[in-house]
Amino acid sequence: MSDLFVVGMSWRTAKVDVREKLAFREEEITPALRALTTELPVAEALLISTCNRVEVYGVAKPGSDPAGDVRQFLAHQRAVKLSDVAGALYDHRGSDAIRHVFRVASSLDSLVVGEAQILGQLKAAYGVAGTAGTSGPVLSRALERAFGVAKRVRTETTIARGAANVSSVAVELAAHVFGNLAGKSVLVVGAGKMSSLAARHLYANGAQRIVVTNRSPEKAEALAAEIDADARPWAELEKLLTEADIVISSTGAREPILTKALFKKITKARRWKPMMVIDIAVPRDAEPAIGEFDGVFLFDIDDLDKVKKANIAEREKAADHASKIVEHEAGQFEHWLRTQAVVPTIRALRDKFAQVAEVEVGKALEQLSRKELTRDQQRELVQRVVQLVVNKLLHQPTTVLRGSSPDEGPLRAAILAELFGLEPQEGGDEEVVEPPATEASSPQKAQA
Amino acid sequence: MTEAGRLLSVAPSPAFWVAVVAYAAAAAALLGVLAGNAKLRPFALALVGVAFAAHGTDIGWRGTMHVHPAESVREAIGFLAFIITGGYLLASARYRLTLGGVVVMPVSLVLLVLARLTPAGTKPEDLSTLGRIHISLATLGVGVFALASALSAIYLVEDRALRRKKFDALAFKDRGAPLESLDKLSHRLVWVGFPIFTVALVLGAVWTSRLGENLARIEYVLAAVTWCAFAALLIARQIYGWRGKRAAKLTLEGFAAALAVLVIYLIRRIVE
Repeated sequence: MSDLFVVGMSWRTAKVDVREKLAFREEEITPALRALTTELPVAEALLISTCNRVEVYGVAKPGSDPAGDVRQFLAHQRAVKLSDVAGALYDHRGSDAIRHVFRVASSLDSLVVGEAQILGQLKAAYGVAGTAGTSGPVLSRALERAFGVAKRVRTETTIARGAANVSSVAVELAAHVFGNLAGKSVLVVGAGKMSSLAARHLYANGAQRIVVTNRSPEKAEALAAEIDADARPWAELEKLLTEADIVISSTGAREPILTKALFKKITKARRWKPMMVIDIAVPRDAEPAIGEFDGVFLFDIDDLDKVKKANIAEREKAADHASKIVEHEAGQFEHWLRTQAVVPTIRALRDKFAQVAEVEVGKALEQLSRKELTRDQQRELVQRVVQLVVNKLLHQPTTVLRGSSPDEGPLRAAILAELFGLEPQEGGDEEVVEPPATEASSPQKAQA
Repeated sequence: MTEAGRLLSVAPSPAFWVAVVAYAAAAAALLGVLAGNAKLRPFALALVGVAFAAHGTDIGWRGTMHVHPAESVREAIGFLAFIITGGYLLASARYRLTLGGVVVMPVSLVLLVLARLTPAGTKPEDLSTLGRIHISLATLGVGVFALASALSAIYLVEDRALRRKKFDALAFKDRGAPLESLDKLSHRLVWVGFPIFTVALVLGAVWTSRLGENLARIEYVLAAVTWCAFAALLIARQIYGWRGKRAAKLTLEGFAAALAVLVIYLIRRIVE
C-alpha cells in the first residue's frame, strides 16, 4: 500500500509574502491536481490553498517517494524558483502525514487555534479533489476520518469555545445578556468601520434591525446603505437609545456622548430593560459611570480585547487535550492503513482455500449422488475429502518451506508457526512424510 | 413517645441513601463541568435525575408508612428539596445551569438530610385537613420561591462577573443561561408561587386562629414579611418596571424570610 504524504507551507514556516507566492486560485486547483497525478508518481492528491497554508496531501505510488518532485512541481506551477520557497516548505510521510492532516482539520495547526474555517476549507478542497477524480480510497478514508476527528475534538474539548475576534466577542457578550439575539435591535452610533463590522456580525447572528446615526447625515446614509440598515438623524439619539437593545459606538468625538445624565433618563424610560453598550471609540464615547445603571452593560475596546485574549488562552489550554485525541486517532488510522496492505493477500488466501474446498466437496457430492453408501462408507468419504483438502492446502507451503535456503528457512518456519499458532517440538528426528495430494478415490476402491 | 410520634420517626429508606450519594456525586460532577470538563455534563445531569428519582422513591416509601410530606414541617422540608431538584432538572432541559446546579445540589442534599436525620418530634394531635392543606401549599409555594431565588442568585453572580469584567470567572466561562432569561424565568416563577403562598398564608392564619394560638409569633411575622416582599416585587415590576439586580435582590430577601420560617419551625419541633 502506498504511503500518505504532505508537502506544503503554512503560517508557521512562511510569512505572507512567501505564502502568496505559492497560493493557488480556485480555478487553478483542478488542473494542478490532474497534473500531479499524471506527471508524478502520485496515486491520489488533494490541494488546499488558503491564506494561511498551501499544502498537497497525496498518496505515493508503490515504491516511490514523490515529496521532492511535488516541491519542484509547486514551484514550477507558480513560476517561482524552488530556492526562493524551499526554506518554507516541509514534507511529512506516513504517520507524520496522517497526524498533520488530522491536526489541520482539528484546527490545531491554525493561526487561531480552534477556528472553524479550516474545516470548511478542507472539505471544499476534498470536494474539488473528488470532482477532479484525484482522491482515491486512502485519501478519502484519511479525510473522512480527519473530519470525524475534528468533530470529536470540537465536541470533547473547549478548543472552539469563545470568540477570537472583536466582532465575535461583541456577539458573545450579547449572548451572555440576551441569549438569543432574535428580535433585538442594534444602534450604531458613529460611522466607524469597526462598529459596522460588529453590527453586521450581530445582524448575521439574529439581531432584527440595525439603525445608524451620525453627526454627519451623509456618512450615516452611506454606512446604512452599506450594511442594509436605517439611517436616523443625530437629533433623535436619546429616542434611539431608548429603543435599542445593543448600542455600538465609535464616533470621533473628543468628549463622551453617552453620558451618565443621558442614561439616567434612558434607563428609566426603558424600565431598566437590559441594554448592552459596546464603546469601541478612542477616546471613549461612553462615560464609565453609565455601566453602573441597573440593566446597562458597558464594554469598551479593552474589555473586548480582554475577552478575546481570555478565549484564546482557554483554547490553547484545550489544545493539549485535543492533541491527545489526534494522537489516538492517528494511531488507529495508521493501524487501519497497515492492515490495508495485507487485505489483497488475505482475500487471495480465502479465495484459494474456498476454491480447493469447493472442488473436493463437489466431487464427493457427485459420488454420493451416484450410489447409496452405507454409514461407514459415508464417514470414510468425509474423512478422505477433509484429508485431501488439507493436503492440497499444505502442499505449496510445505514444498516452499522444504526448499528454503538455510537463511530463509528458520524465518519462514517462524512465520508459519506464528500464523497457525504452532509450537514445534525441538529435536524430533522423525521424517515428516507428506501424503500425495491425489484425487479422492472412491470408497469402493478403498474397500477393495 | 406517642403513637403519632413513633410514626414520624420512620427510618430513612435505602432510596434515601441512594439520593444522598447521587446528590453529592451530582454536585461534584457539576463542579467538574464548571472546571472545564464538558464531557461530564450528561453524566452530571443523569446523576441529578437519579437523585430526583431516589428522593421521590423515598418520599413514596414514607407515604406507605403513613408519613406524608404535609405531616410536619420536617417532612415538608424533604418535599421542598424534592421540588427544588425537580425544578432544576426541568430548567436544565432548556438552559445551561451548571453554576446553579453546583448551588442547588448541596442545598437539596442538606435539606433532605435535615428532613430525615434530625429528631422527628411528634405528630401534632391537632393536625386537621386544613393544617395539611396549609403545609402542602406553603411547601409548594416556598419550593417555587426557592427556584426563583436560585435563578436570582445565578443572575446576581453572572451580573457581577459581567460588570466587573471578570471574563475568566467561572460564571462567565460557564456560558450559562443569559441574564435576560434568568430574570424573566425568575419573575414567572414568582407569579406562580405568589398565589399559592397567599392561599397557604390565609389558610395558615385560619388554622392557627382555630387552634387559638397567638398570631404574633416570630414565624408568622416572618411569613407575612415573605408575602410582603414578593407582593412588593410583583407590584414594583408591574408599575415601575423593576427588573434585573433590584428584582433579584428582593426575591432573595423574600426567600430568606421564608427560609427563616422553616428553620424556626424545625428548631421548635426539635426542641419541643
